[in-house]
Amino acid sequence: MALDKESGYRKNFLLIVTFIVLISILFILSLFLAFNFSKKYIENEFVSEKVNVLEQTIKPYNDFFQIKMPQVSYYSGYLDSASASRFADTTTLKYPFVSKITFYDSEVKNMPVKDGVNSKSFGFGPKNIYQFGKNVSADSIKIYSEENRKSFDVNSDFNPMALQLLSYIGRLDTAKVPGQEELFTNFSVVASNKITYLNIPSFEELKVYKEMLHKKLPQSPVYKLGMFVFQLDPSKIKIINTKPSLFQSIQVQALTYDPINISDENMTTEIALPNAFSNFKLYFISSKDHIKKEIFIYFLPIAMVLLLVYGVLLLIAFLIFRNLNINSKMFKLQYDFVNNLTHEFKTPVSVIKIAGNNIKSATSLSERELGLYGKILDEEADKLNGLMNKLLAFTQIENKAIKLNEEEVNIRDFIESTIESHTLKHPDFNMTYEVAGFKTFITDPVLMGSLFDNLAENAYKYSKPDKKILHISAKLIKGVLVFRFTDKGIGIQSSELNNIFKKFFRIQNEYNQMGSVGLGLAFCKELVNFMQGEITVKSRVGTGTEFKIVLPYNK
Amino acid sequence: MKFIFVLPGENYMVNRVLILVLVALFCACKGFEEGKTIPIDDFFKTQDKAFYHISPDGKSLSYIKLQDKKPNLFVEDLATGKSLQLTHLTEKTLSFYTWTSNDELIYYTRDDSKDRKSDLFVINKDGSKQIQLGSNEKARMDVIENQLIDDKYIIVSSNKRDSSVFDVYRLNVRNGKMDIAAKNPGNITDWITDNKGILKMAIANDGVNKTLMYRENESQPFKAVITNNFKTTLDPVAIAEDQPDVLYAISNVNRDKNALVELDLKTGKEKKILFANDTLNVIEAKYSRAKKKMIFVTCETWKKEKFYLDSTIRVNYNKIDALLPGTEWRVEDKDKLDNVFVVRTFTDKNPGSYYLYFADQNKLRKLADINSSIKEEDMCEMKPISYKSVDGLTINGYLTLPKNKKASNLPLVVLPHDGPKWRNSWGYNADVQFLANRGYAVLQVNYRGSIGYGKTFYAAGFKQLDDKIQEDVNAGVRWLIEQKIVNSKKVAIYGNGFGGYIALNCLYKNPDLYSCGGSNSGVINLFSYFKMIPPFLKSKLQMYYEIVGNPITDTEYVRSASPVFHADRFRAPVFIAQNPKDPHINIAEGIQFIKELQKRGVAVTHIEKEEGPDPIKRQQSRLVMYKALEQFLKDNINRK
Repeated sequence: MALDKESGYRKNFLLIVTFIVLISILFILSLFLAFNFSKKYIENEFVSEKVNVLEQTIKPYNDFFQIKMPQVSYYSGYLDSASASRFADTTTLKYPFVSKITFYDSEVKNMPVKDGVNSKSFGFGPKNIYQFGKNVSADSIKIYSEENRKSFDVNSDFNPMALQLLSYIGRLDTAKVPGQEELFTNFSVVASNKITYLNIPSFEELKVYKEMLHKKLPQSPVYKLGMFVFQLDPSKIKIINTKPSLFQSIQVQALTYDPINISDENMTTEIALPNAFSNFKLYFISSKDHIKKEIFIYFLPIAMVLLLVYGVLLLIAFLIFRNLNINSKMFKLQYDFVNNLTHEFKTPVSVIKIAGNNIKSATSLSERELGLYGKILDEEADKLNGLMNKLLAFTQIENKAIKLNEEEVNIRDFIESTIESHTLKHPDFNMTYEVAGFKTFITDPVLMGSLFDNLAENAYKYSKPDKKILHISAKLIKGVLVFRFTDKGIGIQSSELNNIFKKFFRIQNEYNQMGSVGLGLAFCKELVNFMQGEITVKSRVGTGTEFKIVLPYNK
Repeated sequence: MKFIFVLPGENYMVNRVLILVLVALFCACKGFEEGKTIPIDDFFKTQDKAFYHISPDGKSLSYIKLQDKKPNLFVEDLATGKSLQLTHLTEKTLSFYTWTSNDELIYYTRDDSKDRKSDLFVINKDGSKQIQLGSNEKARMDVIENQLIDDKYIIVSSNKRDSSVFDVYRLNVRNGKMDIAAKNPGNITDWITDNKGILKMAIANDGVNKTLMYRENESQPFKAVITNNFKTTLDPVAIAEDQPDVLYAISNVNRDKNALVELDLKTGKEKKILFANDTLNVIEAKYSRAKKKMIFVTCETWKKEKFYLDSTIRVNYNKIDALLPGTEWRVEDKDKLDNVFVVRTFTDKNPGSYYLYFADQNKLRKLADINSSIKEEDMCEMKPISYKSVDGLTINGYLTLPKNKKASNLPLVVLPHDGPKWRNSWGYNADVQFLANRGYAVLQVNYRGSIGYGKTFYAAGFKQLDDKIQEDVNAGVRWLIEQKIVNSKKVAIYGNGFGGYIALNCLYKNPDLYSCGGSNSGVINLFSYFKMIPPFLKSKLQMYYEIVGNPITDTEYVRSASPVFHADRFRAPVFIAQNPKDPHINIAEGIQFIKELQKRGVAVTHIEKEEGPDPIKRQQSRLVMYKALEQFLKDNINRK
């Protein structure tokens, strides 16, 4: 931390923590809101979805009312007991809520009828009455005939319809063809759980009826009319629960049904049934647990999405943190480098300065002193030059700013000259070499020399004084050149092996107190990469290190 | 770079535009070749001059012409060519007229009120001496014999005694007095006089059975001669003059095809066969009062043809044939001396014209075209065809192909004819020509039950409306598909009345054959069809029960045969035209049917027709109907 502050590089953990805390609060808040929304939504749904249930449930009834029932008119009064029975059977089969059908095979006559309705010379009465339905026994199908008139009930469904017909004919405008709606309303009576429907005669026929009302026609015509009374059973309505997840149970109940013992555990709602079923309603019940489950099912995907967003945000925060960390390490390395480099430059500069001072302050310089100072100045300048060349070359290679200067090199001459220059510098450096498989190859001798120098320098540097040994082997194996630099040095810990090729890296130990900037191996790696080769390292602490360089073989 | 890139693109565009223009030009040229689209109204126009009659002496021509939008009576002097308007009606409508002598005509008018009160007049051909014989009569009157008897009487029938039956009267055209000549017991529907105007025959008809009654003179009562079922034809033509108690009649008693026979009115037996042929069906026979004999019969196969029974008539009529080549013609009226004829012609491509033919000069004078908008060269030929039904009957029909189109892979519209007791005949048909002009092949089928092909063929159609009759129509379509004339994916079916009934039934039963169908004032429910017949006409009802089906005993059959009960089986688009004011049909039922179809997702084109007395409204309504039909076919004949 002290270092961070020193370097002025900011790592603001507080900022990151604040960020995480904030998005966590946001996450929890949105979860809460989403849950509340889900709850409201499902509760609303519970109330509004009932319209759909009603629509689906009442559809067969609408079919019956708008399509099946008007088909009676298609028969134009030609219905007899057999065809009426067939009609009734198909009706009760398809529409189970029709529990009983009474068919009045009736006639409009120009003379009074015994049962039914008479007005002047117009008579409308039943000829036969039949009833059909599941619970009608075979012997009570025909309940009335002209021979057996006992069963006719004045209060039955026939007379109200007959009176309605009479009043309609009375006010019929013979100059204007009546519309379909007008006819439908006048030829049907919708009561609670019961619909009466009389087949609608043609306009011509209605006009004859009107005439019959006022006078006796010469032909004394007789018209057959078929009248049906449909008894409906609301309990037989097939309830279609479009949302079983929402409604646990739906019942048909009387309009007044309102039980007081519905516990707090349940939610209820209701909607009235239309038309002939208007005394009934659909009653919806669901337990609160059931609703809760539904809310949860609705809420879950929203929560998942929120969680995902939250997770992504956390991940981004982590990545930012990691990047910052890496950058700070880099910063530290560079700082070290500058430190080292300064140090490196400082030594030759101070030596030059001392030599310069000595020369300046001496009144006279002996031959030997002159030689000594000259040699010192020359050597230190060389050192500075070497340092700067190294730095320059590295940056150039790293930026790929130089070109390979390829020429044919004799490997033995090349290695021998390298050994010569190093043993000259360090007489205690014991270097050996072997070559196998090839004699010459194409390469850039300067870069290659630089590579060999660096590796040899390293081997010398990181070896104990009595063990400064390096063996260089160069072989052509399977079409590639393999160079091995094996020393008996101090070795590298395996944990550091990954780092040694990094820029500005130096292993902290007694051997590299001075004269190293940590660029050597990084520079070597860049060089090898530049020559399209590979460099690897194997090492055991205390035993030695082996660098292996593989280069393509160009001939 | 960019410049190079854009340039070929622009070239491409220019090319495209050029190709489009070329294609459009090509289409335009092709359209021209295939015949132009003729406006709908042109097909249906009718003439405003009609009802030509020749005075008995052949010197004057009378006709009715619309003057100030009302039909009025005109007389033209043939020698001078001068026309004279005899009536100037503004409120009442001229409903009937006839010559009674060389100089006099009688006519009667009707007002447009609900009671249709009629007035009767006699007028001289120069417009003088108009006498009103009757006024504000509620009764209707028909002329039985228009030649003057004793220079003052004509024979008429009238329902003035009882509105439901017609009695026969001698009408004195001098003072309008009517004496009853024969009282109708209630069942007589026709009265026949001999050539001297003596009422000798009556025809009793209860709708099913037809009885010929005869009396030798007016003092005797009528006696029944022979009774026939409606399936059998026995139509009186004329009472013979040169032999007693003999009737010329068209008869198929004891044979399949109609023949011309002499009938003994005493015994009711056939005396002599004047014309009979196993393959020819006589539909008309002409008696000449001047020659006192039968002069020709007309037989109809795919076309009407005259067979002469008198050699001089053959020679004379062949002269008319030579003047009117390629046409079918009939004599509408002639003078007493067989010199001046009113001739009406027509062909399949032309509704025809009225001509005046002068036998002595062998010259024609054109009076009027029925429809001058029709150009024969733009119309299409109506070709007779025949094919075998599923059960091996030979079915005849007509095929009209669009002009200038190759007879292969054409879209087809099938037009089943109305019925019962009907057939398609060769001649101009506006519906057919309209559809052919719009590029459709048109098939007309004389399915079993059609008249004109013999008694057996007629009776074979009884109670087959929902069965074999439809099979006959389908077989015709399949035959055309087999012949590769018709594209099997482009077939529509459309009809009027019972034709509409057949069309709807065929449509829903054969979704593989028809892509769409239509009905114009069609029968959609047989139950209500029977209801159109008043219940007191019980005998008539019985006949329809026999032809169509019995709604009382066969309720289930009649139900299943009525398309109105099968809305759930329709899938293909339906065209329905109805007159909402038609008192004979149950409109509520039609609307209910359409609603049900729509609820079940069938595309319905519904047209409400206007069929009032106003000709302009009628014409507008017709235009709307046919436009809708044209669009409907265009949109739906291509099966998806």
